[in-house]
Amino acid sequence: MTFDERLAAIRAGMTEHKLDALVAVHDGNHFIETPNPVFVLCRFKSLGPAAVILRGDGETNLIVTPAWDAQRAAECCPGAHVVGADDVVEALAGALGGGAQGAVGVAGLPFTRWEVASRVAAALPQASAADDIVFDAAAAKTDDEIANAREATRIAELGYRRMLEIARPGMSEDELAVELRWYTKTLGADDNFLLLCAGPRNPAVAPSNGRVMQAGDILVAEITPSYHGQLAQICRTVTLGPASDELKEKYDLLIRAMDAGILAAVPGVPMAAVCRAMNAVLEAKGYGEYCHPPHIRRRGHGLGFGSIRPGDVSLDNETVLEAGMLFMIHPNQHLPETGYLLCGEPVVLTKDGAEPLTQQRSALAEIG
Amino acid sequence: MLAMNSTLLVGPSDWDPARMPRDEFLARATALWRASPSAAGAVVYGDRTHHAELAYLTGFTPKLESALALIPRVGAPRLLVGGGPNMLQAAKPLTFIEALVPLRNVGETVAQWAREQSGGGRPVLIGGAFMPYPLRQRIDEVMAEGARSIADKTGELWTLMRRKSPRELAAIRDACATLSAALTAMDEAQRSGAGATAVVLAGEHAAHRQGAQDVRTLFSLDGGRTLRPFDTSVERAVDPLQTYVAVRRFGYWAEGFAVVTASPGQCVRGANVLLRYALEKIRPGRRCGDVGRSVVEAARPFEPHPLVTSVQGNAIGLALEEQPLITPASEDTFEPGGIYSVRVGLRDESDSAVVSAMVAVNEFGSDVLWSSAMGKV
Repeated sequence: MTFDERLAAIRAGMTEHKLDALVAVHDGNHFIETPNPVFVLCRFKSLGPAAVILRGDGETNLIVTPAWDAQRAAECCPGAHVVGADDVVEALAGALGGGAQGAVGVAGLPFTRWEVASRVAAALPQASAADDIVFDAAAAKTDDEIANAREATRIAELGYRRMLEIARPGMSEDELAVELRWYTKTLGADDNFLLLCAGPRNPAVAPSNGRVMQAGDILVAEITPSYHGQLAQICRTVTLGPASDELKEKYDLLIRAMDAGILAAVPGVPMAAVCRAMNAVLEAKGYGEYCHPPHIRRRGHGLGFGSIRPGDVSLDNETVLEAGMLFMIHPNQHLPETGYLLCGEPVVLTKDGAEPLTQQRSALAEIG
Repeated sequence: MLAMNSTLLVGPSDWDPARMPRDEFLARATALWRASPSAAGAVVYGDRTHHAELAYLTGFTPKLESALALIPRVGAPRLLVGGGPNMLQAAKPLTFIEALVPLRNVGETVAQWAREQSGGGRPVLIGGAFMPYPLRQRIDEVMAEGARSIADKTGELWTLMRRKSPRELAAIRDACATLSAALTAMDEAQRSGAGATAVVLAGEHAAHRQGAQDVRTLFSLDGGRTLRPFDTSVERAVDPLQTYVAVRRFGYWAEGFAVVTASPGQCVRGANVLLRYALEKIRPGRRCGDVGRSVVEAARPFEPHPLVTSVQGNAIGLALEEQPLITPASEDTFEPGGIYSVRVGLRDESDSAVVSAMVAVNEFGSDVLWSSAMGKV
């Protein structure tokens, strides 16, 4: 799918819902868990609050803050009429031209901070929610987004290799995280959702803190670079010192669960089936109770920063998989014997099934 | 100055009681109660992007998901941390608050907590403007009393945050030293003929090596006319390279504009002269607007750079942009204890430059903590 084909699908959705204009808003607070309709419509990652007006005929207005960022926006979105503004809502109201805009749908309000969203809602009291129109059309990635995800994955794998080189007892989690984040930036990553922590028995993967890593620690890392605004993630587990036989055995179980998930991910099946396939491997070994909250809530997720569809790899996600979807498969798991372990790959769905984007799949690694 | 927000904060953010003891946080809360005499407590919101108020009262930097502090006028505060119970262990070192609980059922939790507060007053809201829309709607719903919604006292807290304590000033001085190290590293990389991205990343790396909690950069590929965040690698050397660097240490920011070049053009030279002029104007009690206007007037015959046309600086601290702003129209005054980022910029048909300084105002005048006109701290 191309970007233009996606926009055509969104405009078709507008026609179906009898919308004359679609307004997308985002507050500049980019986060892996929240979608960004401005990015979906314009491929522009804003510094501050931004909005897009898409009209039925394809005319696109992009409003960006701060005003001085307009030139970058215009370079990124040559097809859009770009306005730099100090106040996105004021500029949006001006661009919509009072009450003459016809039927309007709005996307992004639930993810936007109150100071922006409340004013947009007040300015467009009759507008209907249009999140599904935008994000349904973006459930499958464009060719460019998939190419960017491949590059982000390459950067993630190089970051992981770097982690194996530099992680050592005596280094703090923060030091390691900061160095890896910087390193992936030198490789072209514009951001990195880098969850990283270590301990003899991790209760979860969490943001790094000042804890100094010790020999015998299990180091878990979600390395998630963004390349041109497209995230991709790898989930890895490393021991600082030799891994115990028990840990090796349990990690092998996760790898088998991941393999089962990858095999189950084919077009036409619901996402829940992918989760069930992974759970089945763990349940067969007596870990059924650990396949649910509070131990885990999902076994993968979509990858933004634009759309985060097809959503979580979870038992309650009935989204039917289709070619072009990009998501994580990670049977990350808390086990009573080992604590939390990470194992996961980004996959793109083809007509034949899930294709992992990594060159080297997850395996338990030992440092020192 | 706004730069790109990161999806996850990774730098060192553990609470350091030697740097900022618990008593200083408690004194801040006491000052808030003095400013809001009827408040029974405060509901304080923060997330990765906006958490200066939360950090001011709790020391906590939300690295991943948002957090909500419930601070009673009497009794122990509670911190609600996003991400579930498994995240509490990682969050614990980031704050002096002992009671950490998962951020769940927010409406019910906040309403119940509010009911438990004694004294007849009602809690106030801090940072409510930054909450996600549905969360704020929920808070408004559960905290409304008849037609009265919960009072937002963020502005009152911002007033308290203006005057920095000696410990805060020390943190900002450290941030300025790190800013200086970053720009020195950029200068060295530039002199070695490195490409634009390599120069910027050399500065970022130097700041990280000094323990920076966060580093944000912008740079120009068009001779300083516009700035951009890093979004793709630029291998070619760019000279002059207009840069912006923001460095955070121990929670506090320092920021600076500088032109990294071996041969400064007339706009750089002129901007440095203008910056010195602006710094001489800054005195306790002087209106920010007077400084803003005089900088705009003194820029002639150059045009002011678009980045500094309407705002010539702002207070800085736990947030990159705090109140007051330095603008030609501002009626605010420079106050002793205030720390300010002051910026000036010039451009003509062929050249442009933005330079800046970090200034601490005291009872007798002001101290320049860092200035691109000086080069180093």
